[in-house]
Amino acid sequence: MNVRFLIIGSGLSGLAAAIRYARFSPDVLLVEKHSRIGGLNSYFYRNGTLIETGLHAVTNFAEPKNKKAPLNQLFRQLKLNRKQIHIHEQIASEVCFTNRESILFSNNFEILHDQIILKFPHAAPGFDNLVSAINAYDPFYLRGFISAKAFLLHYLQDSLLVDMIMCPLMFYGSSIENDMDLGQFVIMFRSIFQEGMFRPHGTIKDFLDLLRHHYEQFGGRILMQSRVTKILHKNRKVSAVELETGEVIQCDRLLSTIGYQETMQLLGRETTDESVNRLGFIESIFQLPISCRHRLPVDRTIIFYNTTDHFLYQRPQSFVDFNSGVICFPSNFQGIEPQNYFEIRSTHLADFFSWKALQSDRDAYLAKKAQAARRSTETIAEIIGNFSDNIVYEDTFTPLTVERFTAKKEGAIYGHPQKFKDGKIGYDNLFLAGTDQGYLGIIGSMLSGVSMVNQHILPAL
Amino acid sequence: MTSNEVKDLILEIIADIDEDAEFDDLQADQPLRDQLDLDSMDFLDIVMELRKRHQLQIPEEDYPQLATLNSCVNYLGPLLKNA
Repeated sequence: MNVRFLIIGSGLSGLAAAIRYARFSPDVLLVEKHSRIGGLNSYFYRNGTLIETGLHAVTNFAEPKNKKAPLNQLFRQLKLNRKQIHIHEQIASEVCFTNRESILFSNNFEILHDQIILKFPHAAPGFDNLVSAINAYDPFYLRGFISAKAFLLHYLQDSLLVDMIMCPLMFYGSSIENDMDLGQFVIMFRSIFQEGMFRPHGTIKDFLDLLRHHYEQFGGRILMQSRVTKILHKNRKVSAVELETGEVIQCDRLLSTIGYQETMQLLGRETTDESVNRLGFIESIFQLPISCRHRLPVDRTIIFYNTTDHFLYQRPQSFVDFNSGVICFPSNFQGIEPQNYFEIRSTHLADFFSWKALQSDRDAYLAKKAQAARRSTETIAEIIGNFSDNIVYEDTFTPLTVERFTAKKEGAIYGHPQKFKDGKIGYDNLFLAGTDQGYLGIIGSMLSGVSMVNQHILPAL
Repeated sequence: MTSNEVKDLILEIIADIDEDAEFDDLQADQPLRDQLDLDSMDFLDIVMELRKRHQLQIPEEDYPQLATLNSCVNYLGPLLKNA
Protein backbone atom coordinates (compact mmCIF):
# COMPACT_ATOMS: atom_id res chain seq x y z
CA MET A 1 0.00 0.00 0.00
CA ASN A 2 1.07 3.55 -0.69
CA VAL A 3 -0.38 6.73 0.85
CA ARG A 4 0.52 10.40 0.69
CA PHE A 5 0.03 10.97 4.41
CA LEU A 6 0.12 8.43 7.22
CA ILE A 7 -0.67 9.10 10.87
CA ILE A 8 0.27 6.77 13.73
CA GLY A 9 -2.27 6.82 16.56
CA SER A 10 -5.98 7.59 16.54
CA GLY A 11 -6.06 9.60 19.74
CA LEU A 12 -7.53 13.06 19.55
CA SER A 13 -4.43 14.65 17.99
CA GLY A 14 -4.24 11.95 15.32
CA LEU A 15 -7.96 12.15 14.57
CA ALA A 16 -7.84 15.93 14.27
CA ALA A 17 -4.76 15.79 12.02
CA ALA A 18 -6.45 13.17 9.86
CA ILE A 19 -9.66 15.17 9.49
CA ARG A 20 -7.76 18.36 8.72
CA TYR A 21 -5.89 16.67 5.87
CA ALA A 22 -8.82 14.62 4.58
CA ARG A 23 -10.77 17.85 4.16
CA PHE A 24 -8.50 18.67 1.23
CA SER A 25 -7.35 15.26 0.06
CA PRO A 26 -8.63 11.76 0.88
CA ASP A 27 -5.19 10.17 0.45
CA VAL A 28 -4.65 9.77 4.18
CA LEU A 29 -4.41 6.71 6.41
CA LEU A 30 -4.75 6.58 10.18
CA VAL A 31 -3.13 3.56 11.81
CA GLU A 32 -4.25 2.47 15.28
CA LYS A 33 -2.93 -0.46 17.28
CA HIS A 34 -6.06 -0.92 19.36
CA SER A 35 -9.53 -2.07 18.45
CA ARG A 36 -10.90 1.28 19.61
CA ILE A 37 -10.04 4.86 18.73
CA GLY A 38 -9.42 7.69 21.21
CA GLY A 39 -6.03 6.91 22.76
CA LEU A 40 -6.00 8.33 26.28
CA ASN A 41 -9.57 9.52 25.89
CA SER A 42 -11.38 6.32 25.16
CA TYR A 43 -13.84 4.00 26.87
CA PHE A 44 -14.58 0.43 27.84
CA TYR A 45 -17.60 -1.55 29.00
CA ARG A 46 -17.88 -3.01 32.48
CA ASN A 47 -20.80 -3.91 34.63
CA GLY A 48 -23.14 -3.17 31.73
CA THR A 49 -22.12 0.45 31.42
CA LEU A 50 -19.79 2.49 29.28
CA ILE A 51 -16.87 3.83 31.30
CA GLU A 52 -14.76 6.68 30.01
CA THR A 53 -11.02 6.52 30.44
CA GLY A 54 -9.73 10.07 30.19
CA LEU A 55 -12.46 12.62 30.04
CA HIS A 56 -13.07 14.65 33.19
CA ALA A 57 -13.92 17.89 31.60
CA VAL A 58 -12.96 19.55 28.37
CA THR A 59 -11.16 22.88 28.74
CA ASN A 60 -11.37 25.96 26.49
CA PHE A 61 -15.08 26.65 26.81
CA ALA A 62 -16.20 29.41 24.43
CA GLU A 63 -19.51 30.89 23.29
CA PRO A 64 -20.21 30.13 19.60
CA LYS A 65 -20.04 33.85 18.70
CA ASN A 66 -16.47 34.19 19.97
CA LYS A 67 -14.82 33.34 16.66
CA LYS A 68 -11.19 33.68 17.72
CA ALA A 69 -11.52 31.33 20.70
CA PRO A 70 -9.42 28.15 20.31
CA LEU A 71 -12.49 25.91 20.55
CA ASN A 72 -14.24 27.68 17.68
CA GLN A 73 -11.09 27.92 15.59
CA LEU A 74 -10.62 24.20 16.03
CA PHE A 75 -14.16 23.49 14.87
CA ARG A 76 -13.70 25.77 11.89
CA GLN A 77 -10.42 24.13 10.90
CA LEU A 78 -12.03 20.70 11.03
CA LYS A 79 -15.17 21.91 9.31
CA LEU A 80 -17.27 20.77 12.22
CA ASN A 81 -20.32 22.76 13.15
CA ARG A 82 -20.75 23.84 16.76
CA LYS A 83 -24.42 22.94 16.34
CA GLN A 84 -23.40 19.27 15.97
CA ILE A 85 -22.28 19.22 19.57
CA HIS A 86 -24.37 20.13 22.55
CA ILE A 87 -22.25 21.49 25.37
CA HIS A 88 -22.76 21.28 29.14
CA GLU A 89 -20.82 23.92 31.06
CA GLN A 90 -19.30 23.14 34.44
CA ILE A 91 -21.19 24.26 37.56
CA ALA A 92 -18.23 25.43 39.65
CA SER A 93 -14.87 23.99 40.57
CA GLU A 94 -12.70 24.49 43.58
CA VAL A 95 -9.06 24.53 44.58
CA CYS A 96 -9.17 23.28 48.14
CA PHE A 97 -6.02 23.35 50.27
CA THR A 98 -7.49 21.83 53.40
CA ASN A 99 -7.02 23.82 56.61
CA ARG A 100 -5.49 26.65 54.58
CA GLU A 101 -7.72 28.23 51.98
CA SER A 102 -10.10 27.40 49.18
CA ILE A 103 -10.81 29.20 45.91
CA LEU A 104 -13.83 28.73 43.65
CA PHE A 105 -13.80 29.22 39.91
CA SER A 106 -16.23 28.71 37.06
CA ASN A 107 -16.61 29.69 33.42
CA ASN A 108 -17.13 33.26 34.63
CA PHE A 109 -13.65 34.63 35.32
CA GLU A 110 -15.10 37.28 37.65
CA ILE A 111 -15.75 34.57 40.23
CA LEU A 112 -12.07 33.71 40.48
CA HIS A 113 -11.19 37.40 40.51
CA ASP A 114 -13.63 38.07 43.38
CA GLN A 115 -12.30 35.08 45.30
CA ILE A 116 -8.77 36.50 45.12
CA ILE A 117 -9.96 39.90 46.36
CA LEU A 118 -11.85 38.22 49.20
CA LYS A 119 -9.25 35.68 50.29
CA PHE A 120 -5.92 37.16 49.20
CA PRO A 121 -6.63 40.93 49.33
CA HIS A 122 -2.92 41.80 49.59
CA ALA A 123 -2.27 39.93 46.33
CA ALA A 124 -5.26 41.32 44.40
CA PRO A 125 -3.40 44.18 42.61
CA GLY A 126 -0.63 41.73 41.74
CA PHE A 127 -3.21 39.31 40.39
CA ASP A 128 -4.58 41.99 38.05
CA ASN A 129 -1.07 42.68 36.80
CA LEU A 130 -0.50 38.96 36.36
CA VAL A 131 -3.66 38.66 34.26
CA SER A 132 -2.54 41.61 32.11
CA ALA A 133 0.86 39.97 31.62
CA ILE A 134 -0.82 36.67 30.68
CA ASN A 135 -3.11 38.44 28.22
CA ALA A 136 -0.12 40.08 26.56
CA TYR A 137 2.00 36.93 26.41
CA ASP A 138 2.41 34.99 23.16
CA PRO A 139 2.79 31.36 24.26
CA PHE A 140 3.32 30.15 20.70
CA TYR A 141 6.51 32.13 20.17
CA LEU A 142 9.29 29.55 20.53
CA ARG A 143 11.54 30.14 23.52
CA GLY A 144 13.50 28.03 25.99
CA PHE A 145 12.11 27.01 29.39
CA ILE A 146 10.91 29.86 31.60
CA SER A 147 9.71 29.05 35.13
CA ALA A 148 6.01 29.80 35.55
CA LYS A 149 6.40 29.55 39.32
CA ALA A 150 9.00 32.34 39.42
CA PHE A 151 6.80 34.44 37.14
CA LEU A 152 3.80 34.02 39.45
CA LEU A 153 5.80 34.67 42.60
CA HIS A 154 7.06 37.89 41.07
CA TYR A 155 3.49 39.17 40.61
CA LEU A 156 1.71 37.65 43.60
CA GLN A 157 4.38 37.56 46.35
CA ASP A 158 2.40 34.81 48.06
CA SER A 159 3.55 31.22 47.70
CA LEU A 160 0.23 29.73 48.91
CA LEU A 161 -1.69 31.58 46.21
CA VAL A 162 0.94 30.63 43.62
CA ASP A 163 0.52 26.95 44.53
CA MET A 164 -3.27 27.23 44.51
CA ILE A 165 -3.31 28.77 41.05
CA MET A 166 -0.79 26.30 39.67
CA CYS A 167 -2.36 23.18 41.22
CA PRO A 168 -5.24 22.70 38.75
CA LEU A 169 -3.07 23.68 35.80
CA MET A 170 -0.39 21.18 36.78
CA PHE A 171 -2.88 18.36 37.27
CA TYR A 172 -4.46 19.20 33.94
CA GLY A 173 -1.29 19.18 31.95
CA SER A 174 2.16 19.52 33.39
CA SER A 175 4.71 16.90 32.41
CA ILE A 176 7.38 18.44 34.62
CA GLU A 177 7.76 18.39 38.39
CA ASN A 178 6.84 21.30 40.67
CA ASP A 179 6.76 23.88 37.92
CA MET A 180 5.51 24.56 34.43
CA ASP A 181 6.98 26.14 31.38
CA LEU A 182 5.59 29.68 31.23
CA GLY A 183 4.19 29.20 27.73
CA GLN A 184 2.40 26.05 28.83
CA PHE A 185 1.17 27.84 31.95
CA VAL A 186 -0.28 30.71 29.91
CA ILE A 187 -2.08 28.28 27.61
CA MET A 188 -3.49 26.36 30.59
CA PHE A 189 -4.45 29.52 32.53
CA ARG A 190 -6.46 30.70 29.54
CA SER A 191 -7.92 27.25 28.87
CA ILE A 192 -9.07 26.56 32.43
CA PHE A 193 -9.54 29.85 34.27
CA GLN A 194 -10.28 32.39 31.55
CA GLU A 195 -12.23 30.14 29.18
CA GLY A 196 -13.44 27.31 31.41
CA MET A 197 -14.62 23.76 31.37
CA PHE A 198 -17.44 21.81 29.80
CA ARG A 199 -18.51 18.37 28.64
CA PRO A 200 -19.94 17.48 25.28
CA HIS A 201 -23.39 15.90 25.59
CA GLY A 202 -23.30 12.12 25.81
CA THR A 203 -20.11 10.17 26.29
CA ILE A 204 -16.61 10.33 24.86
CA LYS A 205 -17.77 7.53 22.52
CA ASP A 206 -20.34 9.85 20.94
CA PHE A 207 -17.66 12.48 20.41
CA LEU A 208 -15.18 9.97 18.95
CA ASP A 209 -17.85 8.46 16.70
CA LEU A 210 -18.69 11.92 15.40
CA LEU A 211 -15.02 12.60 14.58
CA ARG A 212 -14.54 9.24 12.92
CA HIS A 213 -17.69 9.60 10.85
CA HIS A 214 -16.63 13.12 9.80
CA TYR A 215 -13.20 11.81 8.77
CA GLU A 216 -14.62 8.91 6.80
CA GLN A 217 -17.08 11.21 5.04
CA PHE A 218 -14.12 13.12 3.65
CA GLY A 219 -12.81 9.81 2.31
CA GLY A 220 -10.14 9.20 4.96
CA ARG A 221 -9.30 5.62 5.90
CA ILE A 222 -8.46 4.02 9.20
CA LEU A 223 -6.67 0.75 9.99
CA MET A 224 -7.55 -0.68 13.39
CA GLN A 225 -5.61 -3.26 15.40
CA SER A 226 -2.55 -2.44 13.37
CA ARG A 227 0.54 -1.88 15.45
CA VAL A 228 3.44 -0.16 13.77
CA THR A 229 6.65 -1.99 14.66
CA LYS A 230 9.11 -0.07 12.53
CA ILE A 231 9.51 3.22 10.71
CA LEU A 232 11.66 2.65 7.63
CA HIS A 233 14.00 5.53 6.85
CA LYS A 234 17.21 6.48 5.14
CA ASN A 235 19.17 9.40 6.52
CA ARG A 236 16.64 12.19 7.14
CA LYS A 237 13.87 10.70 5.04
CA VAL A 238 11.15 8.30 6.10
CA SER A 239 9.80 5.99 3.40
CA ALA A 240 7.36 3.61 5.04
CA VAL A 241 6.04 1.98 8.19
CA GLU A 242 6.04 -1.73 8.89
CA LEU A 243 3.15 -3.30 10.76
CA GLU A 244 3.20 -6.22 13.18
CA THR A 245 1.76 -8.39 10.40
CA GLY A 246 4.81 -7.65 8.26
CA GLU A 247 2.85 -5.45 5.90
CA VAL A 248 4.78 -2.40 4.69
CA ILE A 249 2.91 0.83 3.93
CA GLN A 250 4.78 3.45 1.92
CA CYS A 251 4.08 7.07 2.74
CA ASP A 252 5.28 10.49 1.59
CA ARG A 253 4.72 12.16 4.95
CA LEU A 254 4.36 10.71 8.41
CA LEU A 255 2.92 12.17 11.60
CA SER A 256 3.50 10.31 14.85
CA THR A 257 1.29 10.98 17.85
CA ILE A 258 2.72 8.28 20.07
CA GLY A 259 5.40 10.33 21.82
CA TYR A 260 9.02 11.27 21.21
CA GLN A 261 10.88 8.30 22.70
CA GLU A 262 8.19 5.92 21.53
CA THR A 263 8.70 7.23 17.97
CA MET A 264 12.50 7.06 18.26
CA GLN A 265 12.16 3.44 19.25
CA LEU A 266 10.29 2.68 16.00
CA LEU A 267 13.09 4.38 14.11
CA GLY A 268 15.53 2.01 15.78
CA ARG A 269 17.10 4.93 17.58
CA GLU A 270 16.89 4.01 21.24
CA THR A 271 17.31 7.19 23.27
CA THR A 272 19.36 6.79 26.41
CA ASP A 273 18.05 9.66 28.49
CA GLU A 274 16.65 7.71 31.42
CA SER A 275 17.20 10.47 33.96
CA VAL A 276 13.90 12.14 33.12
CA ASN A 277 11.12 11.85 35.65
CA ARG A 278 7.89 11.07 33.90
CA LEU A 279 4.75 11.67 35.89
CA GLY A 280 2.34 8.83 36.36
CA PHE A 281 -1.17 8.93 37.79
CA ILE A 282 -3.58 6.56 39.40
CA GLU A 283 -7.27 7.06 38.77
CA SER A 284 -10.23 5.42 40.49
CA ILE A 285 -13.82 5.46 39.32
CA PHE A 286 -16.59 4.91 41.85
CA GLN A 287 -20.17 4.32 40.76
CA LEU A 288 -22.91 5.15 43.24
CA PRO A 289 -26.70 4.98 43.14
CA ILE A 290 -28.38 8.33 42.48
CA SER A 291 -30.20 8.02 45.83
CA CYS A 292 -27.09 9.10 47.73
CA ARG A 293 -26.16 11.99 45.46
CA HIS A 294 -27.72 14.63 47.72
CA ARG A 295 -25.25 13.73 50.48
CA LEU A 296 -22.29 14.67 48.30
CA PRO A 297 -21.48 18.01 46.70
CA VAL A 298 -23.92 18.67 43.83
CA ASP A 299 -22.57 22.14 43.06
CA ARG A 300 -18.95 21.17 42.40
CA THR A 301 -17.70 19.85 39.10
CA ILE A 302 -14.05 19.33 40.00
CA ILE A 303 -12.16 19.74 43.26
CA PHE A 304 -8.37 20.04 43.16
CA TYR A 305 -7.11 19.38 46.66
CA ASN A 306 -3.94 19.42 48.73
CA THR A 307 -3.63 18.52 52.39
CA THR A 308 0.00 19.49 53.06
CA ASP A 309 1.72 22.76 53.87
CA HIS A 310 3.75 22.65 50.68
CA PHE A 311 2.01 21.39 47.60
CA LEU A 312 4.23 18.93 45.75
CA TYR A 313 3.66 17.98 42.16
CA GLN A 314 6.29 15.33 41.63
CA ARG A 315 6.79 11.62 41.25
CA PRO A 316 6.03 10.11 44.67
CA GLN A 317 8.60 8.01 46.55
CA SER A 318 6.27 5.03 46.60
CA PHE A 319 3.04 3.89 44.94
CA VAL A 320 0.71 6.87 45.35
CA ASP A 321 0.81 10.37 46.83
CA PHE A 322 -2.58 10.83 48.50
CA ASN A 323 -1.66 14.27 49.82
CA SER A 324 -3.05 15.88 46.72
CA GLY A 325 -5.29 15.01 43.83
CA VAL A 326 -8.33 15.68 41.73
CA ILE A 327 -11.91 14.75 42.59
CA CYS A 328 -14.26 14.90 39.62
CA PHE A 329 -18.05 14.58 39.45
CA PRO A 330 -18.75 13.92 35.76
CA SER A 331 -22.51 14.32 36.33
CA ASN A 332 -22.16 17.77 37.89
CA PHE A 333 -22.34 19.79 34.71
CA GLN A 334 -25.18 22.13 33.82
CA GLY A 335 -28.16 20.44 32.24
CA ILE A 336 -27.09 16.82 32.60
CA GLU A 337 -30.11 14.64 33.35
CA PRO A 338 -29.59 12.37 36.37
CA GLN A 339 -29.20 8.67 35.56
CA ASN A 340 -29.67 5.70 37.91
CA TYR A 341 -26.02 5.88 38.88
CA PHE A 342 -23.45 8.64 39.07
CA GLU A 343 -19.67 8.66 39.26
CA ILE A 344 -16.97 10.07 41.43
CA ARG A 345 -13.47 9.93 40.00
CA SER A 346 -10.26 10.47 41.93
CA THR A 347 -6.79 11.05 40.53
CA HIS A 348 -3.45 11.14 42.36
CA LEU A 349 0.20 11.20 41.37
CA ALA A 350 1.68 7.70 41.27
CA ASP A 351 5.08 6.12 40.85
CA PHE A 352 5.26 3.87 37.80
CA PHE A 353 8.24 1.88 39.06
CA SER A 354 6.61 0.85 42.35
CA TRP A 355 3.69 -0.55 40.36
CA LYS A 356 5.98 -2.09 37.76
CA ALA A 357 7.80 -4.01 40.51
CA LEU A 358 4.53 -5.81 41.32
CA GLN A 359 3.74 -6.67 37.73
CA SER A 360 4.89 -10.28 37.95
CA ASP A 361 2.92 -10.93 41.15
CA ARG A 362 -0.68 -10.60 40.02
CA ASP A 363 -2.22 -11.09 43.48
CA ALA A 364 0.05 -8.56 45.15
CA TYR A 365 -0.62 -6.06 42.36
CA LEU A 366 -4.41 -6.45 42.65
CA ALA A 367 -4.25 -6.22 46.44
CA LYS A 368 -2.18 -3.05 46.22
CA LYS A 369 -4.58 -1.58 43.70
CA ALA A 370 -7.58 -2.33 45.95
CA GLN A 371 -5.74 -0.84 48.90
CA ALA A 372 -4.97 2.32 46.92
CA ALA A 373 -8.63 2.68 45.96
CA ARG A 374 -9.60 2.36 49.67
CA ARG A 375 -7.06 4.97 50.71
CA SER A 376 -8.34 7.25 47.98
CA THR A 377 -11.96 6.99 49.18
CA GLU A 378 -10.87 7.67 52.76
CA THR A 379 -8.78 10.67 51.73
CA ILE A 380 -11.38 12.33 49.56
CA ALA A 381 -14.14 11.54 52.07
CA GLU A 382 -12.45 14.12 54.30
CA ILE A 383 -13.29 16.70 51.66
CA ILE A 384 -16.60 15.59 50.14
CA GLY A 385 -18.09 13.33 52.81
CA ASN A 386 -18.12 9.59 53.20
CA PHE A 387 -19.44 7.49 50.32
CA SER A 388 -17.53 4.19 50.50
CA ASP A 389 -20.53 2.19 51.80
CA ASN A 390 -22.56 3.16 48.73
CA ILE A 391 -20.13 2.14 46.01
CA VAL A 392 -21.80 -0.32 43.63
CA TYR A 393 -18.90 -0.62 41.22
CA GLU A 394 -15.33 0.61 41.15
CA ASP A 395 -12.32 0.38 38.92
CA THR A 396 -8.79 1.70 39.20
CA PHE A 397 -6.17 2.44 36.57
CA THR A 398 -2.53 2.47 37.63
CA PRO A 399 0.32 3.88 35.49
CA LEU A 400 0.80 0.27 34.37
CA THR A 401 -2.77 0.12 33.06
CA VAL A 402 -2.21 3.37 31.18
CA GLU A 403 1.02 2.10 29.65
CA ARG A 404 -0.62 -1.14 28.61
CA PHE A 405 -3.62 0.43 26.89
CA THR A 406 -2.20 3.67 25.53
CA ALA A 407 1.48 2.77 24.99
CA LYS A 408 2.45 5.95 26.84
CA LYS A 409 5.87 5.17 28.26
CA GLU A 410 5.69 4.63 32.04
CA GLY A 411 1.99 5.44 31.82
CA ALA A 412 2.89 9.13 31.79
CA ILE A 413 -0.25 10.68 30.34
CA TYR A 414 1.45 14.04 29.77
CA GLY A 415 4.46 12.41 28.17
CA HIS A 416 8.09 13.41 28.07
CA PRO A 417 9.06 16.44 30.20
CA GLN A 418 10.71 18.03 27.19
CA LYS A 419 8.38 19.17 24.42
CA PHE A 420 9.02 19.50 20.69
CA LYS A 421 6.91 22.55 19.99
CA ASP A 422 7.75 22.78 16.29
CA GLY A 423 7.02 19.05 15.86
CA LYS A 424 10.48 18.45 14.39
CA ILE A 425 12.58 15.52 15.55
CA GLY A 426 15.31 15.49 12.93
CA TYR A 427 13.55 14.16 9.82
CA ASP A 428 12.40 15.93 6.66
CA ASN A 429 9.02 14.23 6.38
CA LEU A 430 8.30 12.91 9.87
CA PHE A 431 6.75 15.14 12.50
CA LEU A 432 5.41 14.81 16.00
CA ALA A 433 1.92 15.80 17.17
CA GLY A 434 -0.03 15.22 20.36
CA THR A 435 1.32 14.84 23.87
CA ASP A 436 5.03 15.41 23.23
CA GLN A 437 4.51 18.27 20.80
CA GLY A 438 3.23 20.23 23.74
CA TYR A 439 -0.45 21.14 23.63
CA LEU A 440 -2.30 19.12 26.22
CA GLY A 441 -5.89 18.29 27.04
CA ILE A 442 -8.55 17.32 24.54
CA ILE A 443 -8.74 20.66 22.76
CA GLY A 444 -4.96 21.15 23.00
CA SER A 445 -4.25 17.74 21.48
CA MET A 446 -6.66 18.39 18.65
CA LEU A 447 -5.13 21.81 17.98
CA SER A 448 -1.73 20.14 18.00
CA GLY A 449 -2.81 17.74 15.24
CA VAL A 450 -4.32 20.58 13.22
CA SER A 451 -1.38 22.96 13.58
CA MET A 452 1.25 20.34 12.73
CA VAL A 453 -0.70 19.45 9.57
CA ASN A 454 -1.01 23.17 8.72
CA GLN A 455 2.69 23.80 9.25
CA HIS A 456 4.33 20.70 7.86
CA ILE A 457 1.95 18.64 5.77
CA LEU A 458 -0.52 20.80 3.83
CA PRO A 459 2.03 23.29 2.39
CA ALA A 460 3.79 20.33 0.76
CA LEU A 461 0.60 18.76 -0.63
CA MET B 1 -13.03 32.68 -15.71
CA THR B 2 -14.03 36.31 -15.85
CA SER B 3 -13.02 38.75 -13.12
CA ASN B 4 -16.43 38.46 -11.56
CA GLU B 5 -16.27 34.69 -11.63
CA VAL B 6 -12.93 34.75 -9.83
CA LYS B 7 -14.45 37.08 -7.20
CA ASP B 8 -17.45 34.80 -6.82
CA LEU B 9 -15.18 31.79 -6.44
CA ILE B 10 -13.22 33.47 -3.63
CA LEU B 11 -16.38 34.60 -1.85
CA GLU B 12 -17.88 31.15 -2.20
CA ILE B 13 -14.78 29.62 -0.61
CA ILE B 14 -14.83 32.15 2.23
CA ALA B 15 -18.54 31.53 2.81
CA ASP B 16 -17.71 27.87 3.04
CA ILE B 17 -15.01 28.54 5.65
CA ASP B 18 -17.10 30.98 7.68
CA GLU B 19 -20.83 30.69 7.25
CA ASP B 20 -21.41 33.95 9.11
CA ALA B 21 -19.21 36.03 6.81
CA GLU B 22 -20.95 39.25 5.62
CA PHE B 23 -20.05 40.38 2.11
CA ASP B 24 -22.44 43.37 1.74
CA ASP B 25 -19.97 46.18 2.40
CA LEU B 26 -16.89 44.45 1.07
CA GLN B 27 -14.40 46.78 -0.65
CA ALA B 28 -12.57 44.99 -3.48
CA ASP B 29 -9.39 47.01 -2.98
CA GLN B 30 -9.18 46.58 0.79
CA PRO B 31 -7.60 43.59 2.60
CA LEU B 32 -10.00 40.66 3.05
CA ARG B 33 -8.25 39.87 6.32
CA ASP B 34 -9.42 43.06 8.06
CA GLN B 35 -12.85 43.26 6.51
CA LEU B 36 -13.83 39.66 7.17
CA ASP B 37 -11.75 39.05 10.28
CA LEU B 38 -9.75 36.26 8.64
CA ASP B 39 -6.49 34.90 10.00
CA SER B 40 -3.54 33.08 8.47
CA MET B 41 -5.22 29.72 9.05
CA ASP B 42 -8.19 30.89 6.98
CA PHE B 43 -5.84 31.94 4.16
CA LEU B 44 -4.33 28.47 4.21
CA ASP B 45 -7.88 27.12 3.81
CA ILE B 46 -8.45 29.38 0.80
CA VAL B 47 -5.23 28.15 -0.81
CA MET B 48 -6.10 24.51 -0.09
CA GLU B 49 -9.62 24.92 -1.50
CA LEU B 50 -8.22 26.45 -4.70
CA ARG B 51 -5.96 23.46 -4.99
CA LYS B 52 -8.77 21.00 -4.35
CA ARG B 53 -11.22 22.64 -6.75
CA HIS B 54 -8.91 23.81 -9.54
CA GLN B 55 -5.65 21.93 -8.99
CA LEU B 56 -3.88 25.26 -8.47
CA GLN B 57 -0.52 25.08 -6.72
CA ILE B 58 0.07 28.39 -5.00
CA PRO B 59 3.55 28.68 -3.48
CA GLU B 60 3.75 30.13 0.00
CA GLU B 61 5.58 33.24 -1.17
CA ASP B 62 2.56 34.10 -3.35
CA TYR B 63 0.01 34.04 -0.50
CA PRO B 64 0.17 37.86 -0.19
CA GLN B 65 -1.25 38.03 -3.73
CA LEU B 66 -4.56 36.89 -2.25
CA ALA B 67 -4.83 39.88 0.11
CA THR B 68 -7.70 41.73 -1.57
CA LEU B 69 -10.44 40.68 -4.01
CA ASN B 70 -8.77 42.77 -6.72
CA SER B 71 -5.38 41.20 -6.14
CA CYS B 72 -7.02 37.76 -6.24
CA VAL B 73 -8.44 38.62 -9.66
CA ASN B 74 -5.06 39.86 -10.91
CA TYR B 75 -3.22 36.84 -9.62
CA LEU B 76 -5.74 34.05 -10.18
CA GLY B 77 -7.31 35.38 -13.40
CA PRO B 78 -4.46 34.21 -15.68
CA LEU B 79 -4.15 30.90 -13.81
CA LEU B 80 -7.87 30.21 -14.16
CA LYS B 81 -8.39 31.61 -17.65
CA ASN B 82 -9.38 28.22 -19.07
CA ALA B 83 -11.37 27.16 -16.03
